[in-house]
Amino acid sequence: MHGNAMKRVNMSKESQMRAAINQKLIEMGERERLKELLRAKLIECGWKDQLKAHCKDVIREKGFEHVTVEDLVAEITPKGRALVPDSVKKELLQRIRAFLAQHSAL
Amino acid sequence: MKMEDMSLSGLDNTKLEALAHDIYADLVEDACLGLCFEVHRAVKQGYFFLDETDQDSMKDFEIVDQPGVDIFGQVYNQWKNKECVCPNCNRSIAASRFAPHLEKCLGMGRNSSRIANRRIASSNNMSKSESDQEDNDDINDNDWSYGSEKKAKKRKSDKNPNSPRRSKSLKHKNGELQCYETLGPEELRSLLTTQCGVMSEHTKKMCTRSLRCPQHTDEQRRTVRVFLLGSSLPDVDGVVENDGYDVPDGQALMSRLQWDGSSDISPSDSASSKASTNNSDSKKPKKKKKPSLGSLGLPSRKKKPKLPAPPTPSIYDDMN
Repeated sequence: MHGNAMKRVNMSKESQMRAAINQKLIEMGERERLKELLRAKLIECGWKDQLKAHCKDVIREKGFEHVTVEDLVAEITPKGRALVPDSVKKELLQRIRAFLAQHSAL
Repeated sequence: MKMEDMSLSGLDNTKLEALAHDIYADLVEDACLGLCFEVHRAVKQGYFFLDETDQDSMKDFEIVDQPGVDIFGQVYNQWKNKECVCPNCNRSIAASRFAPHLEKCLGMGRNSSRIANRRIASSNNMSKSESDQEDNDDINDNDWSYGSEKKAKKRKSDKNPNSPRRSKSLKHKNGELQCYETLGPEELRSLLTTQCGVMSEHTKKMCTRSLRCPQHTDEQRRTVRVFLLGSSLPDVDGVVENDGYDVPDGQALMSRLQWDGSSDISPSDSASSKASTNNSDSKKPKKKKKPSLGSLGLPSRKKKPKLPAPPTPSIYDDMN
């Protein structure tokens, strides 16, 4: 029981940590910067065009008039996640780790 | 939260890595969502499929790769050898030279007035017969040419009554062109001392431009003064008053018209007069010896701004 309690405490500590870090990420504007960086890289590597073409297929399939956001999201997001090139992923992870290293020590 | 809660020891490396991946996943999902919203809006607003063309049109606008033809399929030097007929002079002109030729031919371009003025200036130095060499460009410049009044009369019929040149020269005459009949002799005289006064043939009005107006010659001005104020006398006694500018009698007025203002002023004359007038710039006229008319109102055409004094030989000769 004591172990479980400890786990829970650790968990909550951990989640607190995570929440704190996320908050910091946002407050310092780093999240926004990361987001822009990702967007730019994805356009550059053609990910956006690829996905748009996929969208066209989905739309033609589902019918032009009745397409909803949910439809699109359901179809697009998994494919989108898979299509991100490795280089982009690596670079982004690197930056995030750097941020964490810098700011989680406080 | 306490400081130690935030320490790195609270999260080991794997957890940190997991956190990093989570953050990354969030970011990617944001990107995807963004795209979905964009596409969805484009579909609903109707501009999503706009950039697509059908196959037929695609074929129409394909890049052309043949020799002698540009990528649009147009021939490059198609109009090089074509010739056009000028509507003004009815000559056959090469297509690439057509526009500049038309400019000169109609007298409407930026340079054509410059060229015409230059020609006039040069034709003044030559004899009148040489101005026979007037080109087409001068057809519309009748009002401007010196000593070609006869030709002006002949060519009046050639002149296009609607040409902008003509209306320009009529409209832009300075001020009102006065009718000489309504003016008394005093007014006439004062007018003639300051204005050109030459009467236009079509309107019978006096030119109100300056005494050096390029539209009329000095001879014309003299004629007008003779006509309006009485005939000239060969030996005119000089103006008595010191202030030579308002002379009461007409003879003196005319005597002030410098006859030798024509371009054939001899160098010796002008030299001597220049020398003599060094100190007496624009001074009162004294008695004249020559029958020619002295001038205060009409400086010689050869007067240039660099000269210290106006070269008016007849008046200032006796100042030597």
